[in-house]
Amino acid sequence: MHQNFLDIFKKALDGPVMTENDFEMKRFMPKVGEITRKYGIKYDKDNPVPDDDRAADNLFNAAVEFLKEVGVYCQDTNRVMEFSEEEIKYSIRNVKTECKAGDGVESGIFGPRKPDDNKLPWFHVGSGIVCSSKEIMYNLIEAYASIKEADSISISALDSIRGIPVSVGSPAELYAAIEGVKVGRDALRRAGRPGLPIMNLISTAASAETTIAASVPQFGLRPSDGWLCGAISEMKVDYGVLNKIAYLLNWGANIGAETSPILGGYAGGPEGTALVSAAYIIMGVVVMMADYQLTFPFHFNFGCSTSRDVLWAVASSCQATSRNLPSPVIWLGYIGAGPNTRQYFYESAAHILTAVTSGAPSEQTPHPAKAVKVDGITPMEAIFAVETTKAASKLNRHQANEIVKKLLEKYEPNLSDPPEGNIYQEVYNIKTGKPNDEYIKLYDEVKEELFKIGIPYE
Amino acid sequence: MSKDDIFKKLSDAIITGNQTLVKKAAKESLEAGIDPLEAVENGLSAGMRVIGDRFEKGEVFLPELLIAADTFNAAMEIFKPAIEEQKKELEASGRVLLATVKGDVHSIGKNIVATVLETNGFDVIDIGVDQQSLSIIEEAKKNKADVIALSALMTTSMPGQKEVIDILNELGLRDKFKVVVGGGPVTADWAEQIGADGYGDTAFQAVKLINSLING
Repeated sequence: MHQNFLDIFKKALDGPVMTENDFEMKRFMPKVGEITRKYGIKYDKDNPVPDDDRAADNLFNAAVEFLKEVGVYCQDTNRVMEFSEEEIKYSIRNVKTECKAGDGVESGIFGPRKPDDNKLPWFHVGSGIVCSSKEIMYNLIEAYASIKEADSISISALDSIRGIPVSVGSPAELYAAIEGVKVGRDALRRAGRPGLPIMNLISTAASAETTIAASVPQFGLRPSDGWLCGAISEMKVDYGVLNKIAYLLNWGANIGAETSPILGGYAGGPEGTALVSAAYIIMGVVVMMADYQLTFPFHFNFGCSTSRDVLWAVASSCQATSRNLPSPVIWLGYIGAGPNTRQYFYESAAHILTAVTSGAPSEQTPHPAKAVKVDGITPMEAIFAVETTKAASKLNRHQANEIVKKLLEKYEPNLSDPPEGNIYQEVYNIKTGKPNDEYIKLYDEVKEELFKIGIPYE
Repeated sequence: MSKDDIFKKLSDAIITGNQTLVKKAAKESLEAGIDPLEAVENGLSAGMRVIGDRFEKGEVFLPELLIAADTFNAAMEIFKPAIEEQKKELEASGRVLLATVKGDVHSIGKNIVATVLETNGFDVIDIGVDQQSLSIIEEAKKNKADVIALSALMTTSMPGQKEVIDILNELGLRDKFKVVVGGGPVTADWAEQIGADGYGDTAFQAVKLINSLING
């Protein structure tokens, strides 16, 4: 049956009333256990990239049931938005399979992929990692856009505006969002690609007010960019998110449903995280009316996405959804190690191979140093991600599994205390925007090493 | 049945999350005349320490931790009257006021810290998410907290942690409370920069930190 967003919103007004604690303890958590058991979902630690299509389809069916049984909690009304199986399946059948993004010659169509697909993924480059200056932000964005394969980018966020720290919901956030967007668009112009879509809008903004304010056309943003609306872990929304969605629908802009399942949290271990991760992709379509999605499962203790169990959950949920729900999804990995370390490249390659061979429609530049370090990213990681993504698209899941196991041997023991690496200005020249010789040497050495273990770089 | 056997029964019941078994073992413990405080420490808390170690190693996850905590509380319902009868008091390791700062509605990290603190004998006052800085301080004063623990999951909500410390300084209250910070984007550098007393990378580190701040 057809439903528009007002019908969805009404569920937040009419659903059963419940405290948030009861939703987590009495509904979400027990159903994770019950449904993983019912569907026989089993973690296989020896194969971080499984290749069993039946298991993938089984996980997808489990995720549909999970969404039906659990629903989505609205923090502002203290009610559970419930969806019937019929409603969920209708939305799945009518999923938006293509996201038209970008402007002019840079416009493109971001579409789905399948497991073992040799089709190149959509290259989403960059990150929203916070920068300490507009100069660094400018350099990063210009460099991202200069990667010829880049189909879309994420722009950095500023941590302060004229010395005032950017805090959520404050005027500083609004100023920083607008400044960030202007810098981003100008850097794209300097790279000769002004129409390239920015898909992480608005990176400094968590509030709906800021998203709406910064969307005024004079600041340079367009509906053909990508506008992120983040669900709250696990499986919750609030009026802030719903307001953003309502506004973007009225404006006709690309809605990006952003989700981050947490391994070790209420979802439990890898089985529950795979289930919840797949359910989130379905939720993005059913509840958030996504034109595209951004998801980044991560490990609660390690703060990254490259532990063996998270990789398995990523592979399983990515296969489940890419086989059964052709929604354009960007998969993102948080990496433990920072820039200019060997471990960064090992972890990044493991995540990229896992997701791309599992059918990820896009793999974003894996974020170094758990994405928490100011200036903690350089263009080198983006270049590596593009080259490795291209190589991964020539592999199948079985091949990826063997390589990922070798990579895990290299970094798994160090995951609880990964090397921090460097920040941008330590390894890149701010004036020229070029890396130093040490980082170039490391990059070449590691790529050679990865080529030898089977990653088919050009 | 020896004392040690009963302690083991209590501990095993916590580890397996078996409320029926823990209640039975708690009753047996009282019937055997074992000091309830000793049974709590050597039975229930011992079991919680095992679960805690496994959680820290990534062998079990939040659901198991919460089930163990529920089992612990089920046994405490039986032990508490006996402890009160002896006119003894369960000595809390310290009182911690826990909040996610303003503008931030994320709760999972904070809830895990709360559970681990409680099962390590701390008295926890969890005032929830999206809390105004001054309200946090007022609640800490009202509840006579030893420590204020502040969670932030977004880079744009981290300034809320700084604001609490700044206001404490402005009101001349900074030395009344230890302040610790945590959350996804929070780092040790940030904690130092804003003048916090410490930072926990994981829930267990946070608990160790809080313990060392209160109990030395």
